[in-house]
Amino acid sequence: MAGSKTWKVGLLYVLAFAVLFVMVFPYWYMLLGSLAPWNEVDRKLIPSSLTLRSYEWLFQGGEDVVPRPWLRAFFNSLLVTSASTLLMLVTAVMVGYALSKVKFKGRQWVNNAILFQMFYPSIILLIPLFLIVRYFGWYNTYWAMILPKAVNLWAIFMYTNFFRSIPDELIEAAKMDGAGHFTIIRRIVWPMSRSITTIIFLFLFMERWVELLWDMLVVNNEKMLTLNVLLAQMFGPYGGYPGPMYAASVLLTLPILILFLLFSKNFKEGMQFILK
Amino acid sequence: MNKHAAKVGWLLASPYLIYSAIFFLIPLFWALYLAFTNWNLISPEYETVGMQNFLDAFSSPSVRAAFWVTYKFMLMFVPIVIAGSLFLALILHHLPRWKGLFAVGYFLPYLASGVASSIVVKGVISYNSPLNQFLRDALGWDIDWLGSPILAPLVIALMMAWKFVGYYALLFLSGLESIPKEVYEAAEIDGAIGWKRVWHVTIPMLYPSFYTVTILAVGLMFGIFTEPYVLTGGGPEYATHTWQLEIYNQAFEKLNAGYGTAVAIINSIVTFASIFVFRKVLEKWGGKHGWE
Repeated sequence: MAGSKTWKVGLLYVLAFAVLFVMVFPYWYMLLGSLAPWNEVDRKLIPSSLTLRSYEWLFQGGEDVVPRPWLRAFFNSLLVTSASTLLMLVTAVMVGYALSKVKFKGRQWVNNAILFQMFYPSIILLIPLFLIVRYFGWYNTYWAMILPKAVNLWAIFMYTNFFRSIPDELIEAAKMDGAGHFTIIRRIVWPMSRSITTIIFLFLFMERWVELLWDMLVVNNEKMLTLNVLLAQMFGPYGGYPGPMYAASVLLTLPILILFLLFSKNFKEGMQFILK
Repeated sequence: MNKHAAKVGWLLASPYLIYSAIFFLIPLFWALYLAFTNWNLISPEYETVGMQNFLDAFSSPSVRAAFWVTYKFMLMFVPIVIAGSLFLALILHHLPRWKGLFAVGYFLPYLASGVASSIVVKGVISYNSPLNQFLRDALGWDIDWLGSPILAPLVIALMMAWKFVGYYALLFLSGLESIPKEVYEAAEIDGAIGWKRVWHVTIPMLYPSFYTVTILAVGLMFGIFTEPYVLTGGGPEYATHTWQLEIYNQAFEKLNAGYGTAVAIINSIVTFASIFVFRKVLEKWGGKHGWE
């Protein structure tokens, strides 16, 4: 009996590692592709030697193709994503707090409006949104990429639900001590929501970082493009340079992986709330 | 005091209200108007054309393609992703140790940019890739992955499954973990072991997760853009031409903004209706077995 159990657990681990291999394989393939000699990219599973030529080429350019502003694009992505994510977090905490802890008339109405909007297919808005952004004179500016993505309904929804689980007595006690709502948010509510904030932050950052369609529409100046858009648009002309494409993909993937691994300790705890 | 609460409440909610007025309400009404015009995105002059855009859309081969392509993607993606994520969840659920570590590993694909993963996929299935070399040399198969109207959507569906399987597995896992031990014990006393136990306990108790994952997966198929845009551009012969590609092409490549908006409205009605039908079917099916 004990023998068959060990055997089963062994098989389970074999399966678990096999799946893990499949899940991580494309990342591994991307990394090796970026480091392989050019005549071996996409031809050999394991390159015979490693080289940084693809990365050098990416930043200094080749003989026959004009170098693209990859570093600038990386910076654009970082700026746009950080600003958007920060705004989405701040606004979500504010609205979530109002909807769960401030008793005001009309709160239920706002709540319903958010729920309605969450299930609304946003594709209808794409063209008029583009027109509004152009009307404001934001075409080809960072504003176009940041402000329409400064409020996130899902984040508001998550924070509202989470704040509901914070006891009202705690808030009332703080009020007795003379704390205002902003102090309560900063000193009590915000520190208490660390694990869920981690997850919401990761999801918002990740989704913003890989946005393609919107960023592609509102910006066409090469210097303003985000890394994701530049990579997608260079795919055609750079298609003959797979090595540098992989290097750019690594550049695009690394920040998210680092962030995620940095916060993976809080991952399970926060996830449990999100999945409820 | 009450007045103060009202003030604070509206003040704190104001970012949402202002945002929604500018970026939701105005565009919404604008869209409803634009859909009935022949505006070309640039010219200052345009006129209302009544239902013409909608009539054109219904008879357009590319809109029809987008309509069917979505269901084709669903047919490939939904079964794969459900079977896959359930499989991963079962592995994770039964692992005695390092469960969290494997869960994080399985979740990694969800973080990948569709652009980057498309590039990798294109490399993996390129003509001289190790995979194709093996298929040619060992089996004599010369497969044109992205040139075939059946394989191209399958490649994209598999790639999307790779990305979402770890995420959905976490949903199934939390469903599995919420089944109380007592239920299993009670079932065992009643003689439910092995497959009987799976059928009479695990599946019914997992039904809510199954429902959520299915609806999420179905909804996802209506919003595909990045992968076909980068990988196939909608080809071959519209085989991967999604709604979003059609709307993008019409509005921003061909500059038919009015027509594009009409297609977007049709798309959202189709999405709404399809998800509604899926929900009803799932609820009926669950209700028949008493799962709920």
